[in-house]
Amino acid sequence: MSRNKISIKRILSAALAAGMALTMTTAVYADEPYTAYNYDYWDDAIPSQSAYRVDRTVTGADMGLDRLSDKNDPLYVGDDAPASLKDAKDLYYDSDNETFWLCDSGNNRILRLDGDLKVTGCYTGFDGQTEIGVAEDGESKFLNPAGIYVKESIFDDELYVYIADTDNSRAVKCTVESDREMSLVQEYTKPDTELYDSETFNPSKILADKAENIYVVCKSVNKGSVQFDKNGDFQGFYGANRVEVTAAVIAQKLWRKIASNEQIAGMTRNVPVEYANFDIDEDGFIYTVTEAANATTDAVKKLNPAGYNIWDNAVGDEYSFGDVASEYDATTNTTYKCRLTDIVVSDNGTINILDYENGRVFQYDKLCNLLCIFGTKNSTSDQAGSFLGPNAIEARGTEIFILDGSKNDITVYTETTFGKDVHEAVLLYDEGKYSEAKSEWEDVVKRDGGYALAYVGLGKAALNDGEYSEALDYFEIAYDQDDYDKAFKYAREEFLRNNFTVIMIVVIVLIVLIIVYKVLKKKGVRLIKRKKKEGE
Amino acid sequence: MYEFTPVGWLKHCVFHPVEGFEDLRWKKQGSMKIAMLIVLFFFIAMVVDRQLTGFQFNDSYVKVFNVVPLIVQSVVYFFTWVIGNWAICTLLDGEGTLKKICIYSAYALVPYIVCTFVAVLFSNFLVQDESIWIYAIQYLGMGWSVILMIQAMRAAHQYSFGKTLASIIGTLIAMLLILFLAILLLSLFQQVYVFGYSVYTEIAYRIRG
Repeated sequence: MSRNKISIKRILSAALAAGMALTMTTAVYADEPYTAYNYDYWDDAIPSQSAYRVDRTVTGADMGLDRLSDKNDPLYVGDDAPASLKDAKDLYYDSDNETFWLCDSGNNRILRLDGDLKVTGCYTGFDGQTEIGVAEDGESKFLNPAGIYVKESIFDDELYVYIADTDNSRAVKCTVESDREMSLVQEYTKPDTELYDSETFNPSKILADKAENIYVVCKSVNKGSVQFDKNGDFQGFYGANRVEVTAAVIAQKLWRKIASNEQIAGMTRNVPVEYANFDIDEDGFIYTVTEAANATTDAVKKLNPAGYNIWDNAVGDEYSFGDVASEYDATTNTTYKCRLTDIVVSDNGTINILDYENGRVFQYDKLCNLLCIFGTKNSTSDQAGSFLGPNAIEARGTEIFILDGSKNDITVYTETTFGKDVHEAVLLYDEGKYSEAKSEWEDVVKRDGGYALAYVGLGKAALNDGEYSEALDYFEIAYDQDDYDKAFKYAREEFLRNNFTVIMIVVIVLIVLIIVYKVLKKKGVRLIKRKKKEGE
Repeated sequence: MYEFTPVGWLKHCVFHPVEGFEDLRWKKQGSMKIAMLIVLFFFIAMVVDRQLTGFQFNDSYVKVFNVVPLIVQSVVYFFTWVIGNWAICTLLDGEGTLKKICIYSAYALVPYIVCTFVAVLFSNFLVQDESIWIYAIQYLGMGWSVILMIQAMRAAHQYSFGKTLASIIGTLIAMLLILFLAILLLSLFQQVYVFGYSVYTEIAYRIRG
């Protein structure tokens, strides 16, 4: 009997232990291969929550690129059409038609993908009046196309594809005829004018504004992007960078003053670095990034249509982009620099900048507040979420797509709950709806108590609601001196108004006391003297 | 005439920049105790300026508080000044003794210390638009102290105005030299210590086998 009991107990406990073990093993989860961080008032890196997590990575096979070599498929290109990407350089999302356009540069083709990143079109060239790169079948083939831009025209509602065909030294504007064919509308080649004084014309990135002016970033052209009008005429250069002032530049400027003409001819010239990439937003502002390592001058610019930089620190602002300091990796004995390679403005107004060197994405809001940093590039780059050669970044709403030209895939990032809270809060905050953003900011603080922008938001909400002392506390946590100052002004006013009578009474009493003291001092002395006299 | 308490003499010096220190010298007054107290307050003023300035004006790195740089900036600089000035002016026929220079210099610092305290107090009531008041007070204190310091050195050494200025510039150079040598000496001793320590460990390992 007792033996039976024991065995039942044993069986029960064993079952329980097994059950526990099972539930424990199910609690395994995959973490991002990087630590999320943010910068505070002193530019110290502060650990933060991940605002984005890797949703999936999409390779050529996932896109269905094997269809291109399948004879029975309508997308059949040829038997030897590669089923993977090769050194892909640019990705563009056409939000009107919900299609992605991908420059598969190494395979000399343009791919059209649908919203789920499945291939729906493949273009190796186009038909039309041209003499460059014409193949036997009469099609003008692409050669290392590195940049693409797609926009529906406001003039004739036609969908135009703009392609920077780098190694053919041309940029083209095409219309889409079918899943396999494009036809040429306009070809832009090296401008035949004195103004264009560069030897080469190798477009690497391309944009078009609403008036269908074309902007082309060319390799080793440092006067800005080359601008063409709708008819294909060269218009000039647009938005050049400035030379970054370093000690070497100043020294050379001094040397030039005393050097002879022959010596000057032998010196290297200080020229600005050309920008690497750009993007255009709904309002027609063009955002540029410069890939020079640790660039501080004109690293990221927001250009108005006249080419004037709105984010110019020379006029007293303090915009900073990318990593603050170079990061030293003790394990590999290398110092990582910051090399910003691509920029994209999302529909919700966030500005995403891709750092090629560290594989990091820096996300800013409209007012250049740093929202989050994610992504990495490390030795274990086989992990999802880390990169080898991040070439392009693209955004669809809150999703971020990163095209890796070395791993030949696209990594899709989706926002976490924390990221969602931040985005919702920032959206309201940037519109000036501080009180409405309050509950969102509170959600953010619940997940990351060190998120400075949240405290600024909460402080502004409190200031809006007239709760000054609360606002002061929030601004102090965020170390936001300017907003603290504003709140302090109101708080001081309120304090004076509430305690006016008390303060006045104290002041009057003090004055009276001083007068009485002085009078008594004089009279008292006299009284003593008089008493002394009387005593005598 | 001029029968003051020691604190009264301090007041007289501060408010009479032209004749104050001459009177002090003539009457052989000046208290070393008060001078040391002033140096202590000089240090306290530094700490207060860093820690208690109103939030909207405070640009210091608040995450760490290290008192050593503040001691160096107040106490160490003061005594380097005194020693440097004594060294220079002994060579330049100055009449001041080390004690006299110490007392007179400390007295001359009073306006700066007081104005720092007042500026810190004001910074807790004012906003950035009114910051001109704080700067005005700070510059007033600084200017006043500089004038007093020139007068103090002139009285202490019985120099002409030009010679005083020259001796002050010389003193600043001497201060730099002293600090440089001090740092050199410190690093040297540190290396000697490291050498001695490594010899000790070497021997200790040998003995243990």
